[in-house]
Amino acid sequence: MAISPLYALRETGQNLWRNILLTTATIITIGVSLLMFGSFRLFNDAVDNATQRWEGGIEFVIWMNPEASAEQDSAILEALVSSPQIRDHTYVDQLETFEEFKELFADTPEMIEVVTPEAMPPSYRVVPLDPDADVVEELANQFRGRPGVKEVVSANETIRSIQDLADRAGIFLFAGSFVLLAAATLLILTNIVSAIRNRGREIEIMKVVGATNWFIRIPFMLEGLAQAMIGAALSWGGLYAFDRFVLSEFSQPDGLELLAGFQVSDEQFLTTTIWLLGIAIVVSVIGSLVAVTRYLDA
Amino acid sequence: MIKLENVTKVYKGDNVALRDATLDIGKGEFVFLVGASGSGKSTFIRLLNREEVPEHGKIFVAGKDIANLGTWKVPYLRRNIGYIFQDFKLLPNKTVAENVAFALEVIGKPRHVVKKQVPAILELVGLSQKMSNFPHELSGGEQQRVSIARAFVNRPLILLADEPTGNLDPQTSVGIMRLLDRINRTGTTVVMATHDRGIVDTMRRRVIELDRGVIVRDQARGVYE
Repeated sequence: MAISPLYALRETGQNLWRNILLTTATIITIGVSLLMFGSFRLFNDAVDNATQRWEGGIEFVIWMNPEASAEQDSAILEALVSSPQIRDHTYVDQLETFEEFKELFADTPEMIEVVTPEAMPPSYRVVPLDPDADVVEELANQFRGRPGVKEVVSANETIRSIQDLADRAGIFLFAGSFVLLAAATLLILTNIVSAIRNRGREIEIMKVVGATNWFIRIPFMLEGLAQAMIGAALSWGGLYAFDRFVLSEFSQPDGLELLAGFQVSDEQFLTTTIWLLGIAIVVSVIGSLVAVTRYLDA
Repeated sequence: MIKLENVTKVYKGDNVALRDATLDIGKGEFVFLVGASGSGKSTFIRLLNREEVPEHGKIFVAGKDIANLGTWKVPYLRRNIGYIFQDFKLLPNKTVAENVAFALEVIGKPRHVVKKQVPAILELVGLSQKMSNFPHELSGGEQQRVSIARAFVNRPLILLADEPTGNLDPQTSVGIMRLLDRINRTGTTVVMATHDRGIVDTMRRRVIELDRGVIVRDQARGVYE
């Protein structure tokens, strides 16, 4: 026997309205927790985008001239391999650099249109044995001004600070969202248990006249889902504002040069949106399933 | 229609509510269950509605062993059994018609069936003029009539009544019994637990007496004691 959509909607609406205060508290908690989780993801994505060439212990980058000769190139390579102070290095060719550039400026296609892979400088990403700033600077200096080298850029302390700050803020946002999501699950459960108790006589009659368990359960489960979805929609709105008005500010021409590229792509934003929806569904299913199996079927 | 074979129901603390009960109730019979409080009458009714499961024995309703019925099949069993409560259990925020319609809506009956059957059953119980009233606007007898209409609207094979006149005065009780008798004459089996000596002695139907969970008397056209 199928449940009529009109019946399910009417019952779900009534359940939500009867407990409007608790419903509002639940929606706000879900919204804030998902906003924190979404911010954690977007912030991490933005930091990764902005600092991706400084990951894996890379402390300085030797940018070569696109026109550097093979001899000049191999001289640099030989110096890197033979140096006892250098643990590792990676060569990034022009095509890979172009791909990196495209990712960094994904939201400004006009920048991508004016460059070609041939114009991109290849580079060596260098991981020294000792990451101490003075040692890194001294090592970097050994390569500055050598034939074929365009520029040597070292990761300065500000970049390291941003990565460190992002890590700490990420832990706070992730832990905070986790705690709030647990609270939201309990609130959904409480809300549904309260609705079940309010409708005790109705449920008793439904069971006596032969309504199926699913017919009785579905409006309560939809109630949990509705709260989670409204909460997710609110958090999505908050994240959209965060992306458009905060993250994008960093990449403005008059912003800090260091923070150029501190933004997320549309694809990353969509992935986060899917995460929000998925978590909202999981939270509502857990909360409402526990409520209906423990308090409705008893 | 109903058959019990050596049915025993024990609650926590070795409290035996029904002991080794065996009996047959035929289609269209009207049966009174009598006995002191705690004698097992309500347990008997709850077992028939599969609200309880026996520890031993078999219970057949319309040929099906309901003691071993899968949980998901229980709602379908209950669609063949009407249930009348002593305290009516009407939904206070719904009108008379809505209370009755509720029993059909929650088992997925189409709207046109609900629209046809609700006025017909309210006509049968004599409440056509009060379809739009709320329960608090009705007398006790009228509320019990709504409860009977709700139990019978789906035309069940069996009607279980747990002290349906327990909250009513003698005169109103007579009216309720006339209604149950009328329903019984349509071929519906009625099993009614009661303490009402006057009703049992007047109607002279089959009487099953329970004493501390044991069937001590099963008498055709019987009296209260």
